[in-house]
Amino acid sequence: MRRAALLLLVSLVVAGPSVHTQAPAPATRPFVEVLASEKLGGREAGSADERAAGDYVAAQLARLGARPLPGRGDMFQSFSFTAGSRDAGSRVAVTAGSAAPKAFTAGTDVQALSFSDDADISGPVVFAGYGIVVPESQGFGYDSYATLDVKDKVVVVLRYFPEDADQQTRAILSRYADLRYKAMAARQRGAKGLVVVTGPRSPNAGLTVPMTLDTALAGSGIAAVSVSGAVASALFAAGKPLADAQKDLDTGNPHVAGFELPGVTVTLKAAVTRERRTGRNVVAYLPATAPVAGVDKPWVAIGAHYDHLGRTAHSGSLASRDDAGRAHLGADDNASGTAAVLAIAGTLARQPMRRRHLLVGLWSAEEIGLLGSAAFVATPPVPADQLAAYLNFDMVGRMQENKLVVQATGTSPVWASILERANVAAGFDLTVQPDPYQPTDVSNFNQASVPSLSFTTGGHTDYHKPSDTADKIAYEDLDRVASFASAITRRLMDLDPAPQFVKVEQSTQTASRTGVRIFTGTVPDYAATVKGLLLGGVVGGGPAEQAGLQKGDVIVEIAGQAITNIYDYTYALDLLKIGQGVKVVYMRGAERRETTLTPAARR
Amino acid sequence: MRFLVAGACLLSLAGALTSAQAPASSPERDFLTRPRRLTVEGRRAGEGYWSKDGKKLVFQSEREPGNPFYQIYTMDMGAGDVARVSPGMGKTTCSFFHPETGDVLFASTHHDPTSKQQQDDELKFRASGQERRYSWDYDPEMELYVQNAKTKTYRRLTNARGYDAEASYSPDGQWIAFSSTRQAYDRQLSAAERKQLDTDPSFFAEIYIMRADADGSGVKRLTTVNGYDGGPFFSPDGKRIIWRRFDEAGLIADIWTMNLDGTDQRQLTNFGAMSWAPYIHPAGQYVIFASNKLGFENFELFLVDIDGRKQPVRVTYSDGFDGLPVPSPDGTQLAWTSSRGGGREGQIFLAQWNHEKALAALRAAPAR
Repeated sequence: MRRAALLLLVSLVVAGPSVHTQAPAPATRPFVEVLASEKLGGREAGSADERAAGDYVAAQLARLGARPLPGRGDMFQSFSFTAGSRDAGSRVAVTAGSAAPKAFTAGTDVQALSFSDDADISGPVVFAGYGIVVPESQGFGYDSYATLDVKDKVVVVLRYFPEDADQQTRAILSRYADLRYKAMAARQRGAKGLVVVTGPRSPNAGLTVPMTLDTALAGSGIAAVSVSGAVASALFAAGKPLADAQKDLDTGNPHVAGFELPGVTVTLKAAVTRERRTGRNVVAYLPATAPVAGVDKPWVAIGAHYDHLGRTAHSGSLASRDDAGRAHLGADDNASGTAAVLAIAGTLARQPMRRRHLLVGLWSAEEIGLLGSAAFVATPPVPADQLAAYLNFDMVGRMQENKLVVQATGTSPVWASILERANVAAGFDLTVQPDPYQPTDVSNFNQASVPSLSFTTGGHTDYHKPSDTADKIAYEDLDRVASFASAITRRLMDLDPAPQFVKVEQSTQTASRTGVRIFTGTVPDYAATVKGLLLGGVVGGGPAEQAGLQKGDVIVEIAGQAITNIYDYTYALDLLKIGQGVKVVYMRGAERRETTLTPAARR
Repeated sequence: MRFLVAGACLLSLAGALTSAQAPASSPERDFLTRPRRLTVEGRRAGEGYWSKDGKKLVFQSEREPGNPFYQIYTMDMGAGDVARVSPGMGKTTCSFFHPETGDVLFASTHHDPTSKQQQDDELKFRASGQERRYSWDYDPEMELYVQNAKTKTYRRLTNARGYDAEASYSPDGQWIAFSSTRQAYDRQLSAAERKQLDTDPSFFAEIYIMRADADGSGVKRLTTVNGYDGGPFFSPDGKRIIWRRFDEAGLIADIWTMNLDGTDQRQLTNFGAMSWAPYIHPAGQYVIFASNKLGFENFELFLVDIDGRKQPVRVTYSDGFDGLPVPSPDGTQLAWTSSRGGGREGQIFLAQWNHEKALAALRAAPAR
């Protein structure tokens, strides 16, 4: 076993363009091939596969001389999380006047929202329009509850936000249209329960809201269900038809108010079963080989998540129907990052005179909300203020055209010079992005005020699909990334004083866009530095492909809005209407072209 | 990895992606392979010139707190170490390695007692949130200096009032060519000339040559045409000088070559645009330069044969600025300044240079 690994290492060194002649190149391939094997089944957090993968990673760390963190008996840090939720028999009964109650049961007619409390309630009903409250600080008056008293009542609201409002109004309202936010607004006004209806004038009309993964440990303090068009008809049977009410509200006019549904009572049972699981981080360290007494922040941390989406249908999966049931092996996401971390640790383990301890963290449950690294940061076995720096690796195995993206460089003034110096020899086409608010574990370390970097080679068309397999990894380049990061880690071992942390202001433009329900079928290239939105691909049969857009095109304008980056684009999406064609201006090579794209609805 | 929430939305419809189509390959890759950003630190960097052995690059960069003007740095192209060469005070520009000693030639205003005040004023201006277009002020305090590679001491080479800068050594290290506005300060100007000096001092810039061991004397003027003459470099055989010449309005520039005594001046380009920053490839057959032929703020690199007989060939295809190209001494790499990394400010980029493709493209180019 060891000999085979050694032979492989030698052959890689001979075959590859050896950049560093003094240090043997790290060999990431064996790690990726094991982690992304069918046997480990895609490493879903909390599963037996994840446990087996964690055992493998811990064994590799032990083999290169790493130890459990001080005061701990093994390399595992367990944490508990909600892995999924399903409706546990929610029911709604509508009583209008003296008529007999109409009862509806879980399934097509009633579906608890994933964040609902378990509760049995009953009460009179108030229709609160779209149920949107824009905070006063936004200087935009819109409060669905302004004229309504909902205390101890059941509130009925429409899903989404006004359909016919002007672009600016839609842009603002969409930010406060998330169902969790609507539930909070109802609860704060004393409502007993929330019933969500997808209006007849909206996409997905009359359908209940699919239960999404919500990793919260408990409910949101209110009973909340979505109901079908049939239930809505029962609710609105006596008074103004819902379609008419929605039409008035769809203008976006803030003075169009909701109303009580006189004589209507709803009896509601909401029940959600949340599946609790235990995930395991693997955390270990290579002790310093020089005295750390007097060293400013005597720890440097490197990490990657090792979990992925597993064998079953997962809300993050982008698998096509043909692939249903196949394991998501996650070779790039994130066997590649895990392999890079193991390789870096291996390189550092052979180096003398380490003035800081090297903490190695392989996180679980990243794919369902950065939960493993959050658990580490929440109860760190090593205090976060003792960490001089954290380097994160997420999807580093699919390098194209020598491009490497380093994110979170704004977290310390030392990063630019350290990256510049290390890259002179490494020779990557480096893109640096100051923003640490990234959808990867680095954001948790940034929150803990640890100067951080996150390395990635960017997205690709196998992202979150069973086709993200080990044979597609660019191993020579992955080894180069590990070498590059080893040099940076080595530098951090000796850096005195420790890097200064800088808090990067969070751009409001990066705020959650949970209200977005538009589907355009574009796959942005996140590594791009061009002015505009570079398409890394288009979804087959999607609106973008139908509009003639293709990989490599750069969108520079959509619906009259100039697009200079991904944020402009996501912002512009708020302004589009499903089914309504908009002009898209794009560059294909040096040629400026126009087309019409007709957005579709996202389910 | 979990992408941006919005990104996840864009991606989240189940369905096969079309098989990846080959990216529209940029014609740039014909000449430049494995392009990459070399400088990362600081607000801006540019004008990277190679040492004779190709192991070091000397460049200008704004990268230290307290001074918003360029200072001169060297980069070790093996280890990546960066060291400041200039004193750190005032403005500097346009550095060059001595081919034998490795001494660094550059222009600086650090002797100007108002330097600190100017730095503070500029920082204050920036802090006010105001912006101005990039402009170079042709500071008459600018003088040529050389830093001894061993002793790290500075020697001042020029003493004339006027902008003395844009200097380079001859391949044998015996001569320095530079640009200077000194002719506007050593004589009585007419009223029209004084007004010209106030609005655009570069109008008076001419090419000069002097011995490398100069003490400020023995300077010879090579050009006499109105309009900014600047950016002189020697040909690899040391027999000619290549430079750029602006028209009187300072908008149109072209590439010229001449003998070391100023005779036989030949024009290589006539785009009717701003063509400048020429550098001769070490093989001697062609020139790499920058021009905004394709758009006022869109500078691209071009090639032209050494005699300017053919139409220039476009090299780069990238928005924004690509300029100040300098091939490595062995002709296999190109360092240039580009804004392709994002933002308005430039950084130094590096790529493998395909000499054979360049020769083939020039052979195929139509006659001018």
